[in-house]
Amino acid sequence: MTDLTTSRTLKGTGWTVLKYLFVLFLVVLFFFPIAWIFLTSIKTTGDIYAWPPTYLPHHPTLKNYEAVLFGSKLGRYILNSIIVSSLSTISVLFFSSLAGYSIARIHFRGRGFLLIFFLAMSMFPQLSIVPSLFIWFRKLGLINNYLGIVIAYTGLFSPISLWILSTYFRTIPLEIEESAKLDGCGRLRTLWRIMLPLSIPGVIAASLIVFIQTWNEFFLALVLLSQNLLRTATVGIALYPGQYSFPWELITTATFLAIIPIFALSAIFQKQIIGGLTAGAVK
Amino acid sequence: MSRTRLSEPAYGILLVLPMFVIVVGILFLPTAYTIGLSLSNFSFIKGAARSFVGLANYFAMFADEEFRSSLINSVFFTGVTVVLELLFGLVLAVILNRKFVMPGLLRATVLFPWALPTALNAIIWRWLFNPDFGLFNSILVTLGFSATKINWLGEIPLSMFSMMTVAIWKTSSFMALILLTGLQTIPADLYEAAEIDGAGFWYRLRRITLPLLTPSILLALLFRSMDAFRAFELPFALTQGGPAGSTQTLSLFGYRQFFQFLKFDTGSAVSVIQFILIMALGALYLRVFRTEAD
Repeated sequence: MTDLTTSRTLKGTGWTVLKYLFVLFLVVLFFFPIAWIFLTSIKTTGDIYAWPPTYLPHHPTLKNYEAVLFGSKLGRYILNSIIVSSLSTISVLFFSSLAGYSIARIHFRGRGFLLIFFLAMSMFPQLSIVPSLFIWFRKLGLINNYLGIVIAYTGLFSPISLWILSTYFRTIPLEIEESAKLDGCGRLRTLWRIMLPLSIPGVIAASLIVFIQTWNEFFLALVLLSQNLLRTATVGIALYPGQYSFPWELITTATFLAIIPIFALSAIFQKQIIGGLTAGAVK
Repeated sequence: MSRTRLSEPAYGILLVLPMFVIVVGILFLPTAYTIGLSLSNFSFIKGAARSFVGLANYFAMFADEEFRSSLINSVFFTGVTVVLELLFGLVLAVILNRKFVMPGLLRATVLFPWALPTALNAIIWRWLFNPDFGLFNSILVTLGFSATKINWLGEIPLSMFSMMTVAIWKTSSFMALILLTGLQTIPADLYEAAEIDGAGFWYRLRRITLPLLTPSILLALLFRSMDAFRAFELPFALTQGGPAGSTQTLSLFGYRQFFQFLKFDTGSAVSVIQFILIMALGALYLRVFRTEAD
C-alpha cells in the first residue's frame, strides 16, 4: 500500500500465487513444532518409538490424554496456572490502572520521572531479585503460597500494564473527563465509569499480555512454588523429563494441553494484543 | 470527605503510591539487598555467621572458569541471536507492511511464537531434536541427507547453535512486530516521490526505509538483547546447560549457585554482574530513545 511499483506489479496472478505460497510457508514454519507434538500426542507408544519413523499415527488414540488428565498431576498444574495468572492479572490491572490514570491525567511533579522509573524497574532481571525474594518470602511464609507469587508478579508485570494503559488513557479527549467532573463525578468514579470503559482495547490488551506473561513465567514460579502440588503448568511440565526416563507421549500431550489456552487467547485477540505490544514502541 | 480536601498533586501521588510500593518492594529493594549479599559471606550452611567481605565473591567468580565460560556463552548467544532475529524480523516486517493475502491468519501466525511459553517451547524442540525419534533426524536420515543420526543437543559446539535456532525461531516474529510499527509511521508520499524520481526497490530500502526505521531498529535490538542476555528457561528446559556447560548461560549458572549449591553470596555476585551489564544496555537504550525524541 505504501509502495506503488509493487502494488502495480503484484496485480499479476503469479504474484498472488506467490503471496499465498509465502503465507503457507510462514504457517508451516511457525506451526510445524506444535503440529508435530500434537501428532505425537495421539500416537501409540509403539508408533512414537518406531524406526523407520511413522509421521502420521497408524491408530490415532486418546489414551495419552486420558493418562495425562486422570493419571498425572498435569490437571493440578493447569489449575494452579489458572489461579496464579487470573489473580495476578486482576491485581496488576487494579494497581496499574490507578497509577496509569494518575500519570496520564493528573499533574504533579515527578510523574515524568515515575514513568521512566517504572520502565527501568521492568528491565531488572529476575536473577537479581530471586535470592532476596527467596530469603524474605521464606521468612514471611510466602514460599509455596499463591499470595507470594501474586505479589511478586504484580511487581514484575505492573510496569508493562501501566505503560499500555497510560498510552490508551492519553487518547481519550479531555472534554469527556471535564464534563464528568461537572456532573460531580469524583476521580475514582471517572476512572471506573469513563476512562476504563473508553479504553476497552487497552484494558483487554493489558489483561491478555499480563495473563500470557504470567502463564509463561518460569524463573519465579520455579523458585517460589517449589512444592510439587503447587507448581504451575510451565514449571511442572518442564521438570517432567527426568534424568533417565522421558515418557515423550505424556510430555508432548501435557505440553499441547498447556499451550491451548494461550494459543486460543492470542488467536482470538490478536489485534488487541499486537496493539498493546506495540503501544510503547510507537511513542 | 478527604477527597475534597486533597490537592490535585497529592491525589495524583496517592493513586500511584500503591503500585510504587509494590514495584519498589519486589524489584528495587530485593536488588539492593542482593548487592548487599554479594558483598557478604552469607550462606544457609554457615548459619548466622555473616560478615562483610568486600569484593571477594566477585574475585572468586572471575577466577571460576565455569563462570567465565557462562558469561562468554551468554554474550555469544545474545550477539548471534539478536543480529539474526533482526535480519529475519526485518524481512518479515517489510512483507507484512504490504497489503497481503489473509492478514488475519498472517497476524495470528506471527504472534503465535511470541505467545508460546519459552520453557515449553524448549521441551517441544527437545523432542524435535531427539537423536533417535525426533522429527529432524527422521527426515534427514530417511531421505538420505544424513547417513548418521545427528546429536543436535549432545555435541559441542552444535548444541549452542541448536539452542540459538530455537531462540531465533521464537523471537524473530516479535522483532518483526516492533519493526512493523516503525514501518507504518513512514509517510507513503516519501516513497511516491522516490518513485517519480525513478528510484528502485534497493535504493528506496537503503535511502528511505532503513534510515527512517533506525529508531525502531535500535529499540528492538536493545530490548531483545537485554532479554536474550538473561536467557534462563531455554537452556534449563532444553539442555540443562550441557553438554559440558556448552549451553550454560549466566542466569542458569547463577541459579545453580543459589539453589543447587546454596551459595547465596557468590550467586549474588553473579546476579549483580548480570544486572550491571543489562542496566548498561538499558542506559544505552534510554539514551537512544531520548536523542530520537529530541
